[in-house]
Amino acid sequence: MLDIRAQLPHRPPFLLLDRVLEREPGVRVVAEKVVTYGDPFLRGHFPDRPLVPGVMLVEMLAQAAAFLEAEPLLDRPVFLAQILDARFKAPAFPGDRLELSVRPGPGFARLRRAEGEVRCDGRLLCTAKLLLAAGEARP
Amino acid sequence: MPELKQQVKEMIIQRLKLEGMTPADIDDAAPLFGEGLGLDSIDALELVLAIEQTFGVKIEDEASGMKAFRNVEALTAFIAEKTPA
Repeated sequence: MLDIRAQLPHRPPFLLLDRVLEREPGVRVVAEKVVTYGDPFLRGHFPDRPLVPGVMLVEMLAQAAAFLEAEPLLDRPVFLAQILDARFKAPAFPGDRLELSVRPGPGFARLRRAEGEVRCDGRLLCTAKLLLAAGEARP
Repeated sequence: MPELKQQVKEMIIQRLKLEGMTPADIDDAAPLFGEGLGLDSIDALELVLAIEQTFGVKIEDEASGMKAFRNVEALTAFIAEKTPA
């Protein structure tokens, strides 16, 4: 199985993907995140009713979008440059198995758009259009 | 050309939501990026898409894009050259 940590520089508690299920660089990526009570962002959001903050869903999609790149990003991170659109249609709770799918959009120079959606059991929770910027390679 | 230049300026203002600006406020020779109009790389992608949608002209790579984006003068010439007569 694909080692996520070999592609992404993110580490716990901010590595938000568990598995990459499908990957066709430049075409499509499907990744998975299982939400658990142990996820640190659920401690305060909210103590009595844990649900995944919308911005974390967007971050999950951005991390999944990193796998659209063929090359590992350990030394050449990708940054979120713009959120063009984000819609949160239903909340994600502990126990939810989130399917994160992303497709690339148009790009120019270091920038490329990506469109993604988060589903749980086929139910659409979130859609987002993001702009990602490839960083400079670190020596 | 003057007509096309006007269209280019209107496209820039509309697409990049340069509120309060009119085509007359944009100097033909002023740099679009950095000093001058002060656009950034995110605006550059927006312009690439706008030029394709408005004029049917594709900007193939970064080098030709950056040449075309020097100023309104250069961008108008670029579009005129690529538009079928």
